[in-house]
Amino acid sequence: MGLTLGELRSSFKEAGYICDEQTVLTVFLALDLKKPLLIEGAPGVGKTEMGKVLAQVLGSELIRLQCYEGLDETKALYEWNYQRQLLRIQMNRNLEEAEIREEDLFSDRYLLERPLLKAIRSEEQAVLLIDEVDKCDPEFEAFLFEVLSDFQVSIPELGTIPARNIPVVVLTSNNERELSDGLKRRCLYLYLDFPAVEKEVEIIKAKVPGVADRLAWEIARVVARLRRQPDLRKKPSIAETLDWTRALQALDRSRLDGKVVADTLNLLLKTRADQQLFAGQIGPEGIEQAINDKKCGGEACGCS
Amino acid sequence: MRLQLTDKPGISYLEENLTTFAGLLRSEGLPVGTAEMIDVLKALEIIDLSSREQFKATLQATMVKSRRDQAVFSKVFDHFFLTPEDQFLREEELDRREHELEQRLAEANQDLQFKGEALQLSFEELQQYSALSAEQRNQLKDFMQKTENGKNVEPRFKPVLETIVKSHLRYCRDRDSEKRNSAANFGAADGAGSGGGAEDYLRELDIAAIATSDLPTAEQLLQKLSRKLAIKILRRRRSGPRSGPLDFRRSIRDNMQYGGLIFKIRRRPKRRSRQQILLLCDVSASMKSYSTFVIQFMYGLHEAVRDLTCFSFSDNLENLDADIKGKVALNRLLDRVIRRSKNWGGGTDIGRALGRLMGDYPDRVNMKTTLIVVSDTKTVALEQSIKELKKIKERVRRVIWLNPLPLDRWADYRSVALVSELVEMWPCSTIAQLEEVLAGRL
Repeated sequence: MGLTLGELRSSFKEAGYICDEQTVLTVFLALDLKKPLLIEGAPGVGKTEMGKVLAQVLGSELIRLQCYEGLDETKALYEWNYQRQLLRIQMNRNLEEAEIREEDLFSDRYLLERPLLKAIRSEEQAVLLIDEVDKCDPEFEAFLFEVLSDFQVSIPELGTIPARNIPVVVLTSNNERELSDGLKRRCLYLYLDFPAVEKEVEIIKAKVPGVADRLAWEIARVVARLRRQPDLRKKPSIAETLDWTRALQALDRSRLDGKVVADTLNLLLKTRADQQLFAGQIGPEGIEQAINDKKCGGEACGCS
Repeated sequence: MRLQLTDKPGISYLEENLTTFAGLLRSEGLPVGTAEMIDVLKALEIIDLSSREQFKATLQATMVKSRRDQAVFSKVFDHFFLTPEDQFLREEELDRREHELEQRLAEANQDLQFKGEALQLSFEELQQYSALSAEQRNQLKDFMQKTENGKNVEPRFKPVLETIVKSHLRYCRDRDSEKRNSAANFGAADGAGSGGGAEDYLRELDIAAIATSDLPTAEQLLQKLSRKLAIKILRRRRSGPRSGPLDFRRSIRDNMQYGGLIFKIRRRPKRRSRQQILLLCDVSASMKSYSTFVIQFMYGLHEAVRDLTCFSFSDNLENLDADIKGKVALNRLLDRVIRRSKNWGGGTDIGRALGRLMGDYPDRVNMKTTLIVVSDTKTVALEQSIKELKKIKERVRRVIWLNPLPLDRWADYRSVALVSELVEMWPCSTIAQLEEVLAGRL
C-alpha cells in the first residue's frame, strides 16, 4: 500500500467519510500490516460505509459477502455447478465421445466462484467486505480463519489456492453475539461509536449539500439528546440522521422546533415503544431544550 | 528510530516495557497473546513514536479486541505510560502514601495494646485496622479498654484478646471485599463517564453492592444482555437451509421432473429439541438482591424464550409464571412477588422447595428440562435437601447451580461442597458472571 497516514486522512475526507484520528490510524495500520480489520459498533455508525470508502480510496473492486445465519462455504467460497457437470456427462454419453476424465469435470469451467474465492483469485487487489459477520454461525466463523490468517482457501478437488493479491479485508459486526477469540486475534479491532455533535454536523454538511448551518447544528443536538435517552431500544443511526436532514430540507425547514420534530419523529425512532417513550419522557419541550443548548457540541460536551 | 537497549542482549527498553504492559493487561483479563505483541512491534515501526496519541492508538488497535476492554486498556495505559511530569507526581504521591502508612501503622500499634504490650498482629492485620473507619476503630479500642479494665483480667489473656481482634478484623475484611470490584486497583470507574464505562463497572461489581442510584443503569444492562442471550438461544433452535443430512427420498421425488437426474439436493432439517428451562430463585434474606437481578435477567429472556418457568422459593415454593407471562411491568411484578410471598426475606428450605417442585409440577420435571437454581446453598435440613437434589437430578436433563457467594468463600461451607459434588455450580455474584455462565450453558 502506498498511502501515508496523511494521504489516507485526506482521501477519507475527499470521499466524504468523516472520522476521528483513531479510526484513520487503525485503518492505516490494517493496510500496512496487511491484517484484516474488524469493525464493531451499533447499526448505522458507518461500518459498511468504511468498506465502500476504502474500495473507492484504493481504487479497488469491492467484493461483498453479506453474512446471515446458515451461510456456508457453498454460498461464500465456491460451489460446483453440478447441473452443468451432469449435463456434460449426459451429452458425452449421448454423443458417445471419449470418456471424460474426472479432472475435466472438476475444473474452473464448472466452478461457481463465490465472494471469498473471487477475492482470493482477483487479478488486482480487491477490498473484501464481510458484512455482519456476527450473524453467521460459529462454524462459519471458524471456516474464515484460513482466509483471514493465511489469505488462502482449500478446495478438496483443486488443492490450496493462495491469494494472487492479498485483499484488504474488512469485517463488520453489530455485536449481536460475541465473536470468537480466534477471529478477533486475526484482526485489528476498531470500535465505531456514534459521533460527537461537532463530528455529526460535519457529516451532515458533507452528505447533504446545501443544508443550513443552523439546521445542521440543531439536528445534531436533537439526535444527540435522543441517543442519551437511557432506555431507548434503538438509537438513531447516522443514516437516519441524514434521512431526516433530507426530509427537513424537502420541507423547506431552516430551523427546528418541538412540533416539527414530533411530526417527523418516525424518521428517527423506528419502534412504537421508542416513540411512546419520546412522548412520555422527552416531548417537544425536551427537544426545545436540546435545540437551544449551546453548550452541546463544544469540547466539554459528552454527547457521543 | 534506534531504540535504547537494556542489559538483556537484543532487548530494548521499549520491548521490555511493552512486555510488562502486556502482562498488566493480561492480569486485567485482556487476552493479549504473542500474535498481538508481534503486531504491536510491527505497527510501532511505521508510526511516529514521539506522538503519545498515535502510540496509544496503535497499542489499542493491536492489543484490544472488544469495546469492553477498551476502557480497561485506557486506564492501564494512563497509569503505566506516564509522562515525565506525571512520573514525578506519582513518585511524590507514593512517597507520601508510604509515609502515611508508616504513621498509621505506628498509630495502630499504639492503639492495639494490652497491659502496655502491643498485640502480636501481622503487617496485613495492622493495615486492615488502619483502613477501618474512625467509628469502627473507636469501637475496637473501646472494647479493648473495657477488656483491660475488667475484673481479674491477667496478662495471660493477651492471646485470647489477639484472637478476638484478628477475627474481628477478618470479618470486616470479608464484608468489605464483597463490595470491592476488580477496577479498584486503578481507581474506581466514576460511572459519570460514558455509558460504556458505567456499564462495564456495573458488570464487574457484586450485585449486592450496586447502589440504588445505579439500579436503572444496571437494569438496562440486564435487559441488553438478556436480549442478546435470547437471540443466541433462538438462533440455535433454528436450523440453516443446508445444515441437515441428505434426504434421499425428497431429492429423488423432486428430481423426477428432470428424468431422474439429480439437479436439486434436498436436505433433512436438523431437529433441535426445545429446551425447557426451570428457574428456581432463592428469595431468602441473604439472596434477595441476587434473586432480584436473576429474575430481571430471566424476565428479559422470557420475552423471547417461551418455555421458561420461574419459581421463587425460601421455605416454600411459589410459581411466578402467571405474573411473568401476564407481561406485568417488572417493578410491579417484583412488588407483587414480595407482597404475596410469605417467604420473602425468611429462611431457606431447599429440600422442601425441590420436593414440591417434583410433586406439584411433575410434567415440567423431565429429561428435556434444564433446572437452574440460584442459591447460596445455605439451607435448613441440609441432608434432606441433598437427597431431594439427587432425586431431581435423575429426572432432569441438567442442573445448573448459580451461587452468588464469592468463590474464595465456597470452601467455608459444607453445603457448597455437598451440592457441588452433585451438580455443576458456578459463581454468579456479578452481572458479568451471570452472563458468562448462562451464555455458555443454555
